Amino acid sequence: MNNDLKQQQIARINIYALLSRLTMGEVDEGLLKSIEEDKNILSFFPTYEKWKKRKEFDRKDLIERYLNVDFTNLFLLHLIPYESFYMREDQMMETGGDNPVQAIFNAFEFTVELDKARVMAADHIGIELEFMYELCKAELKALEEENVEIAKQLAQLQYGFMRDHIVEWMPMYLLNVKNEAGTAFYFDLADFCLEFILSDFEYLHTLKESEYKYLA
Amino acid sequence: MYLQSRRTFLKGAAFSVAGVAIAKGVFTTNAVAESVASSKFTNTPDTISFYPDVKEWDSFKELDGTDWKRGGIERHGVRSESNPDGIQVNDYTIVPTVCSNCEAGCGLTAWVNKNEFDKGILTVRKYMGNPLHTGSRGRNCAKGYAVTSQMYDPDRIPFPIKRAPGSKRGEGKWVRVTWDEAMAEIGKKMHDTLAKGDEISKKQIMYHVGRPNENGFGPRVPQSLGIDGYNSHTNICSAGAREGTIQWTNDDRNSPDWGNADLIFLQSSHAADAGHYFQQSAGLIADARKRGAKMIVIDPRMSNSAGMADLWIPAWPGTEAALYLYLVNRIVHEKNKDGEDIVNHDFVKNWVNWDRLMANKAYLKKMIGYGYISKMPKDDSYESFLELLRELYAPYTKEFVVKECKLEGMEYKLDELWEYFVPAGAKIASYLWRAGPIGHRGGWMNTRAGFLPLVLVGAMRGDIGGVGLHHWHEISVAGKGDKATVAGKHPTKTDVWNEIAWPPEYPISTYEMGYMMPQIMMDDAWHEKWTKRGLKIPKSMAVYVPRMHNPLWINPDGFRWIEALKDESKFEMSFNLSPTWSETNWYCDYVLPVGLAGERNDQQSTPSKPEQRIEFRQAVLRVAAEKAGWKPKDPTRATLEAHMKYGLGEVWEESEFWPNLIFHHVDPDGKLGIRDYWASKKDPSRCVTVPEYFDAALSLLPRLKETATKMYKGEEYPVYAYIRDHGAWTEKTNVYKPQEEEMKIEGEYVYAHGHKYHKSEVRKDEFGALWVQDGELKKSIGIIQDGKVLDGFHTLSKKLEFFSEWLADEWKWPEYAIPVYPRNDAENDKMVHVVTQVHHKHMKADNEFALNTIYRLPYNIHTRSVNSKHLMEISQNHNPVWIYTKDAEKLGIKRGDAIKVQIVDTLSGIESGYFIAMAVPTEATRPGVLACSHHAGRWKLKDSVKIPGFEHQLGVMGLGAPLYEMTNDGKVGTLKPKEGIDAMKHREMWQFKEYNRDIDDIWWDGLSGSWQNAVAPCHPDPIAGNHGWHQKVVITKAGADEKIGDISVNYENNFKVYQAWRDDLTRPLEPGDKWRRPYHIKRPVKPSQKAYKVEIKDA
Repeated sequence: MNNDLKQQQIARINIYALLSRLTMGEVDEGLLKSIEEDKNILSFFPTYEKWKKRKEFDRKDLIERYLNVDFTNLFLLHLIPYESFYMREDQMMETGGDNPVQAIFNAFEFTVELDKARVMAADHIGIELEFMYELCKAELKALEEENVEIAKQLAQLQYGFMRDHIVEWMPMYLLNVKNEAGTAFYFDLADFCLEFILSDFEYLHTLKESEYKYLA
Repeated sequence: MYLQSRRTFLKGAAFSVAGVAIAKGVFTTNAVAESVASSKFTNTPDTISFYPDVKEWDSFKELDGTDWKRGGIERHGVRSESNPDGIQVNDYTIVPTVCSNCEAGCGLTAWVNKNEFDKGILTVRKYMGNPLHTGSRGRNCAKGYAVTSQMYDPDRIPFPIKRAPGSKRGEGKWVRVTWDEAMAEIGKKMHDTLAKGDEISKKQIMYHVGRPNENGFGPRVPQSLGIDGYNSHTNICSAGAREGTIQWTNDDRNSPDWGNADLIFLQSSHAADAGHYFQQSAGLIADARKRGAKMIVIDPRMSNSAGMADLWIPAWPGTEAALYLYLVNRIVHEKNKDGEDIVNHDFVKNWVNWDRLMANKAYLKKMIGYGYISKMPKDDSYESFLELLRELYAPYTKEFVVKECKLEGMEYKLDELWEYFVPAGAKIASYLWRAGPIGHRGGWMNTRAGFLPLVLVGAMRGDIGGVGLHHWHEISVAGKGDKATVAGKHPTKTDVWNEIAWPPEYPISTYEMGYMMPQIMMDDAWHEKWTKRGLKIPKSMAVYVPRMHNPLWINPDGFRWIEALKDESKFEMSFNLSPTWSETNWYCDYVLPVGLAGERNDQQSTPSKPEQRIEFRQAVLRVAAEKAGWKPKDPTRATLEAHMKYGLGEVWEESEFWPNLIFHHVDPDGKLGIRDYWASKKDPSRCVTVPEYFDAALSLLPRLKETATKMYKGEEYPVYAYIRDHGAWTEKTNVYKPQEEEMKIEGEYVYAHGHKYHKSEVRKDEFGALWVQDGELKKSIGIIQDGKVLDGFHTLSKKLEFFSEWLADEWKWPEYAIPVYPRNDAENDKMVHVVTQVHHKHMKADNEFALNTIYRLPYNIHTRSVNSKHLMEISQNHNPVWIYTKDAEKLGIKRGDAIKVQIVDTLSGIESGYFIAMAVPTEATRPGVLACSHHAGRWKLKDSVKIPGFEHQLGVMGLGAPLYEMTNDGKVGTLKPKEGIDAMKHREMWQFKEYNRDIDDIWWDGLSGSWQNAVAPCHPDPIAGNHGWHQKVVITKAGADEKIGDISVNYENNFKVYQAWRDDLTRPLEPGDKWRRPYHIKRPVKPSQKAYKVEIKDA
C-alpha cells in the first residue's frame, strides 16, 4: 500500500473520529488538552487558539463556564443536530426503528448504542460522522490487506452515504452552528467540520470518477 | 476558510492522538442485527393485516406493543439470550371466542401469551375480532375490545363467597367458600325441594336469566329439573316488539337484510348505534349506505343513528303507530311515479290472511261497531279487502299525524318520508325495536302498525334487501347435547305452570313477568285471590338464581326488590351467578363468580344477515393451556381448574357448573330422574364434559359435521375441535323467503319441522292451510298455493296475519286484532291499552315532560361494564337529562344545573318520588320530551369487603360506582351519594396489578347518573306485559341540599301504581277459560300441554 494513501486514510480516520466525538458530546479536559497540545489539531481551531478566554480560565472552568454552555445551546437545545429534522417535510425527528439512517446501519450489521452516545436517534451528526470513521477504518484495513475490491465497496458506500445523507443536511446545520456559536471553539469546530466534509465528499467523488484507482 | 486545500487535512494523519482513542465508539456489531435478520419482523408491515391466517393461530409470534414503543425492531432487535435488550416477542395462542357484553355475539379472538407457560403463566394480552365470524367480520365495538379490562378487573370476585352466618342479607358480611361447599349446600336445598315432588315445589326454583347470550343450554337446566322455573328479562327489553311481531308472524323478532336494502327504516337507535345486533348490523348498514341506500330514523332523540340519517323524524314517543298508519293510508290510495299500485298485490294476495278476515263476518260486524269501517264489505274478494283497507286507514291523514305525533313545523319531513319510502319498493330493512315498543303502554302496536306498510310493499316477504324472520336465521342447538348423556334424549316437558313468572292476568305476555316478581310475591291479597280460584301458587322461592343478571338494579321499583330479596320467608336461598359485583349480589346468600366473554363455553347464534350461523364462546385460558399440553385433573371441571391455575381466580362457568351441581348434589343417586340428563354417556361415573356435550350438540348441523369430520380425522370430538379452533361456523347462506319452499313429501308421508306425518293425519281447511292434531289442539304445518304444498309462515294461517284471529276470539282483545290506533280524543281515552302513558295529552304545565329512558349508551352494557376502566372512562358524564333548548330557556335551566325529576303516573295520578340529575339543554331531543338513559347510576354501600381469613380486601365496583348512603323504612327509600371512587386509588392492589398500573390516572369520580330505575313504578302493559319504561315527569330546579345522584322513592305508592295497571287494564283468565296461554305462540322453556290447561273457579 502506498504510504501517501495510508497517510491520507489515517488522516480521514482521525478527523472523522475527532469531529464525531466533538459533535456527539461535551468536550472533556483530557480531550481539550490533547487538542491544545497538538499543533496539528489546534491548527484546525485557529480562532480558538487565539481566544483570550483560554488565558483567563483553566480548562475545567473554561469547559464548565463556556464550552459546555455553548454545546448545550448548539447541540441539545436550540439547534437540532438530527438529519430527519432537515429531511422530513414535517420537520419531525424519527427516533424509532423507521429512521432511514438506522436502517442503513442495520443493513451493515451496525448497532448504535444510543444510550452510550446520549442521543435520541441514529441520524445525529455525531453518529453519522462516527459511521464514516468506521467505514474509513474498514477501508484502511482492506487496503492494508490489499483487498482492493472490498476497499472499493467501502469507498462507494462512503460516497453514497455522504451524497444521500451528510451532504444533504449537515452543511445547513453547521452553518447555523457557526452563526449561533458563542465560543471560538465551536465556531471553529463547525467551520472545520463543514470544510472537511465538503472536501472529503469531493475526494470520494474524484475517487469514484477514477473508478477507484487508488494512489497505489 | 472555505475550500481549504485537501492537503491541509492530511495533517490529520499526524495527530498525536489516534482516532481510535478519540472516537466515542458507539457502533457495535452485535446480536441485534442478526436477530432482526433472522426474524420475520419489520418496523412497518408491508401490508396491514389484522389477523394472521387461522393455520398460525396455535402459535403466532408478534412484537410486544408496549415494548415496541422503545424504538422498534430496527433499533433494538429481537429479544433473545444474546440480545437481552431487544424487543419482546410474544408467542400467542390465538383462541377464538365470542363477546358476551351485549346480545350481538360478535366474534372475538383472545391472544393468549404463552411465553412463560413453562413457569405456569398464561395471560390474555388482548382481545381482537374474529375474522371467521361472518356476521361481525373481524370487527368489534368498544365493548368488545374492553373485554380485557373486564377480565383483569382489580375488583373481580376471586372466589365464591357466602353471606356470613348470623348476618342479614344486605349487611355486606361475607365469608369465603369453595365451589364444592357452595354446591353441596345449594344442591341439598334444591334436592330437598324437588324431592317433595308436588306441584308447588316444581315452582319454587327460579332461574332468572339476564343476558342469555347462548341458545338453549340455560333452558335445558330447569327443564331437566322438571320445574317451571325459567325466567327471562324480555319484559324490560323487547316484549313490545316481540308481541307485535308474534301477531304478524308468530316469530318474535324480525331479521333484516341490511346489506342489500335500499332503505334502512329504523325506530330507535337500535341496530345502527346500539342494541340488537349492533356492530354487525351497523357495519352492514354502512355497506348499504355506501352503495346508496337511504336511512330514516324515527326517534324523539337525535341518536348517533338519527344524526347521520337521511331523515330524522322526532315523533312524540309512543305515537309512532299513527305515523305508520299514515303511510298505509297513502300506500293503499296512491300510485307510484309510473302510475302503478304501490301495494305489492302478488305478495299481499298470496301471503296475507285477508281471506280469513273477509270470511269472519262476526268480526267484520265488530269492526263496524268499533267504527273502524262503516259497512260490511260487498263480498269476500281481495278487491273488497283493499276497499276495506282504504276506508279503515283513510282517517290517518297528514293533518292527523302531524297533530298526533306533534310534528308541527316538520310537515315536510312526512313528504320526505314518502319520497324515500316508495322508490325502495320491497327492499326496505327495518327494526322497530326497543324504545317505542318497550317504552309504552301499547308499545307493541308500534311494531304491529309499523310492519303493515312493509307488508303492503312486499318487504316482509323476506327476499333480498327486505325483512326476514329471526328463526329463519337462528340456530339453537346449545340445549341439545343430549346424545352425550346417559339419558340420550332431551328432558321431558314439565306438567306445571308457574304463576309467579306467568301470572293469569298476562296470558299473552312476551314473556315472563320477571321484572315484577317481588310485587307478585309480596302481594298476599293477590295470592289469596288466585288460590281461591284454584291455582297453586308458591308463597316463596326455595332457591332463586339470577344468572348474569342484576334484577334489583335494572328493573323498575328497585326498593321493592331490596325488600323482597331481604325477606327470607319469600326467598329462602339465593345465589347469583355473576361475573361482576352488582347491587343484587349484595342481597344474595351466595355470589358465585362466573365467566365473561373469554371464560365461558356457550353456543350462540345471532342473526344479523340472511344466513344461518353459530358462534362459540369458550374459556380461552383452558383452551390455550390444553393446546400447550396441560390436562385438568377432572375433565368435568377443566375450565375452573384452568382459571385457578392460570391466575384468573376461582371463576367458573355454567356448562360445567350445572352438570356438576346436578350430578353430584341435586340428584346424586339418580332417584329424582334428573342425573341421567347430565351424566356422561362415555363415562357414567361423572357428568358430561364441554367437548362431549358440545360435540354432540353441534353435530346436529349437517354441513358442520361433514366439514369437521373431514378436517379433524382422528380427533375424538371433531365437531368440537372445529369450533374450538375457528369459533364460528356458517351453516347456510342466502336464506331468503323459506315460506315459499315446498314441503318434503315422500310416498304417504309429509315432513314438517322435523316431524313426519301420514297423509291421512293431515287436513286441509278452506283457506288451504294444512292441519294436524297436536294433543288436544290442532296445529298447522303448511299451506297449498297454486297446487304446491309450501312451508308457509310460522303462523296458524301460514300467512302473515293482518288479522290476529286468536287475539280477537279466545284471547279477549278483539278491538286490537288488526293494526289500529285511536283516531280522535274519544278513542284515545277509550283505547287506553294502546295509548302511551306519556301521551302529550297528559302534559299540561310547562314543566311537565315525557321522559325517554330507553336508549342504550353504545359503550355501556346494562350492568356488566361497571368496572371496565376503558368503558368507564368514555362513559363518564354522558348521561345527563337532555332537555330541548327552548324548554330549558322557558324554565330558566342552564347546562349543568341539577334538576329534580319527579315521576307521576298518568293512569292512577300517584307520585313515585324523584331523582336528581344534571340538565343539558340541547337541540337533540324534541320539545316536550326529556331523555336520560336508564343504563347509568350504579351504586354501592361499601368500598370493599373484608373476608375472614383472606389477607386482602375485596374491592366493590371500585372503578364505576360511587359510595352511597341508603335509607329504607319499608315505604320510602332514599339514596344519596357519599363519595366518589377515590378510594380505589388508595386501596391495596393485589390482583392483576400488572394490568392495572394506570389506576392512578383515573380522573373520574364514578357518578355517571342517578338510579332512576328505582324511582320508576312497574308499568305492566296489559297485553305484551312489557314494563312501559317511559315516565311522565315534573321537573324543578334542585334544592340547595339536593345533589345529583340523589333519589327518593315512595315505593308504597309504586305498589299502588303497579296494582292500578294490573287491575284496571288487564283481562285476566276467568271461569270458562281452558288454556293459560295460546299454545302456538312462543314461550321460553315450554311446558307440556297439560301445564297449559287451566280451570279457573268462580271467586
